[in-house]
Amino acid sequence: MTRYVMVIDQRRCIGCHSCTVACRTWNKLPLDIIYNPVLTEGAQGEWPNVHKTWTPTLCMHCANPECVPCCPNGASIQDEDGTIWVDPKKCMSCKVCVNACPYGMRDASHMESRLHRFVRKCSFCRDKRQMDPNAQPYCVLTCHQKARIFGDLDDPNSEVSKLIGSVKTERLFEEFGTEPQIYYIPDLGGKA
Amino acid sequence: MKHHYWEPPIALYLFLGGLAGGIMFLSAIFDSIVLPGHTDLFAMPVLVAFICICIGLVCLLVDLGQPGVFWRVFRTATSVIKWGAVFLVIDTFVSMIFVAAFLGDSIAFLAPLSALLKPIASPLLLVGGFFGLCIMMYTGIMISTLKAHSFWATPALPVLFTVSAISTGCAAIVLAIGGWPAVSSVESLEAAHHIHEILHVVDIVLVVAELIILLTMVLSFLGAGNVTAKKAAKRWVCGSYAPLFWGGMIFAGLLIPLALYVAGSGVASGVVAPVLVLCGGCLLRVLVVNTDDRAPLPGEERYMGRVANHKAAFAHRWNYEGENEF
Repeated sequence: MTRYVMVIDQRRCIGCHSCTVACRTWNKLPLDIIYNPVLTEGAQGEWPNVHKTWTPTLCMHCANPECVPCCPNGASIQDEDGTIWVDPKKCMSCKVCVNACPYGMRDASHMESRLHRFVRKCSFCRDKRQMDPNAQPYCVLTCHQKARIFGDLDDPNSEVSKLIGSVKTERLFEEFGTEPQIYYIPDLGGKA
Repeated sequence: MKHHYWEPPIALYLFLGGLAGGIMFLSAIFDSIVLPGHTDLFAMPVLVAFICICIGLVCLLVDLGQPGVFWRVFRTATSVIKWGAVFLVIDTFVSMIFVAAFLGDSIAFLAPLSALLKPIASPLLLVGGFFGLCIMMYTGIMISTLKAHSFWATPALPVLFTVSAISTGCAAIVLAIGGWPAVSSVESLEAAHHIHEILHVVDIVLVVAELIILLTMVLSFLGAGNVTAKKAAKRWVCGSYAPLFWGGMIFAGLLIPLALYVAGSGVASGVVAPVLVLCGGCLLRVLVVNTDDRAPLPGEERYMGRVANHKAAFAHRWNYEGENEF
């Protein structure tokens, strides 16, 4: 089995927003849609010991998603490899999944014509991976700091399994029980 | 942080759906248990319910991004919306057939059809009442399953919506009972008067119950909710929603109708109080739907505060398909 996950190394992220730009460009996103915002915290601490933390985000591709069972149309789909995506032909944009997502990672664009709006979200570049199974998402390829690491969690030799097995990782909003599959290696913020 | 994915049509639909469910439910109870034998009295209330469902369905369609694929709405059994759609469709047809059974009394050429449908009108209303209850409950349950939103994810919300829906349904029946299309006899007018008196008492109980549930929900969020729910409750109790909450919902939507039901008579308790209850019910749905606060990711509020939203001028002038001004 394959289980695609992403490890995000916050120690490496410098907050350049390249991943956001690459995603928006390659996926030809409308102006009001961002799949993977890089959130900034800080500056924290007292001068001269100040630091900032960046949290690159994207759809968490939860193992126990909120957004898939709530979709009446069957348009919100989870593949066997764990990837969650929206079929634009089936989505009627009732926005129940948008409201169900605890991470706010879905939205329908207001830039498109009034009768052809569907919910959009990150799919780990599913269309690209369909053409080439070994392809990496655009945000991973573009990250010059190698802060985003994508791979198969079920493959013991993949970089992501090695990292998750050896380094302390955190996940966002675990209390919702969604089992998000984006693992963050926290930045210790100069306190280490 | 982005807000208000669901726009006013959805709030209006939640109100109209609940109202229609409440009318069907109470009509069925009165027709089958409280005062059997005067089914014709409920022709007008059920017609109102039918119109409410139709307007509500139009609201739902208007809000959709791709209305062309709405027929897929019945595809997923795990989705609360699917079941809501099933209940709505059933009650649309039930109310339509029920009204058709009495249209013949006023419109001559429909008389044969009405004569055919009249024997099944009463059992049909019972079916409609059951699914009316389902509609009332589903609206609240659908909102409360969205646990990302702290203010919605509470069992008090379906209870509040259901009680409010029965209460508004009660008010609508008070306003509409016994009218066109059915031709009333002296006995049915007496029965209508009797039902009026019972409905007054019922609505007093429901308004008091709604008041208690609403205050319990909002104040317990304020006192014991998590950070997000507390912030939302603060907005209701002493923030930007406070005038609408205290002045609109509690005072004008519940306390004044309560006083009019108890002490007033004639137009005051027969027209003004029900209309105020209906307005209060609508306001409740609007405020609840607008309170879609989600716990922000670290740094999300700052990020979304700086990103241009879809209403920004440059976003509007951007031609996504090709050339743009910038």
